[in-house]
Amino acid sequence: MTLQILLLTGLILFSILAILSRNLLRSAISLAVASLLLGIIFFRMNAPYAGVFEISVVAGLITVLFILTIALTKGESDVRESNLVRIVFPLFFVVFIIIDVLVMKSLVQKIPALPGSADQGTFGDVLWKQRTFDLIGQLAIILAGVFSVLALFRKRDKDE
Amino acid sequence: MNSTWFVYLGFSVVLLFVGIYCLLTMRNLIKLFIGIEIISKAVSLALLTSGFVRNNILLAQSLVITFIVVEVSLVATALAIIINIYRHTKSLDIRKLTKLKG
Repeated sequence: MTLQILLLTGLILFSILAILSRNLLRSAISLAVASLLLGIIFFRMNAPYAGVFEISVVAGLITVLFILTIALTKGESDVRESNLVRIVFPLFFVVFIIIDVLVMKSLVQKIPALPGSADQGTFGDVLWKQRTFDLIGQLAIILAGVFSVLALFRKRDKDE
Repeated sequence: MNSTWFVYLGFSVVLLFVGIYCLLTMRNLIKLFIGIEIISKAVSLALLTSGFVRNNILLAQSLVITFIVVEVSLVATALAIIINIYRHTKSLDIRKLTKLKG
């Protein structure tokens, strides 16, 4: 449990670094490290498939997409963030953590536990037999993503 | 059960706060999208935690994988939109997007 808490703390620290860093490339790499830590947390929670997906897709592919976008939008894209954001953040963060610790415990106890049974079978059984419609939805969403990217990068016709 | 759930959910709520703070305060479009990514990390952590404490880890894993696929599709589309906005306005500043001039 101690290692898990350390990993979770690292996840939050790298996320904070990702939003507060001035350099966009550094932000993207901090986000990748945060995904890597989340993947390790998933592995330690006995969820190897989710961990593999998190590390390979989120830490790998999405970081590549982010870096590609940063490279394609370079130039005069240096947007000035206000300095107040960095100064005020620790204050808000500490206040939020205090509220979180005080309120969450009672809130979690108020959530009723729904009846349910433990998992049976293997991961393949659950994914392919119980959640078949999810797979169809995933296919539809991937196709939607592909077509939207194609539509957004379409070359303009000559008469436009 | 409740103490483990409390710890993990507490951390995921803190992640959610970091993401929402980024969304509310930053001006760079790519930074805003990094905020959305952080929120999605918080959601997948909360999903898997709920499965972990209820002994339903396989179902939670399949839901998390579905969520990751949705996330990738969202990222690809949103980054393509960001590149198009950059080509149109030559800037990534969201304050330049407030004028609806057609």
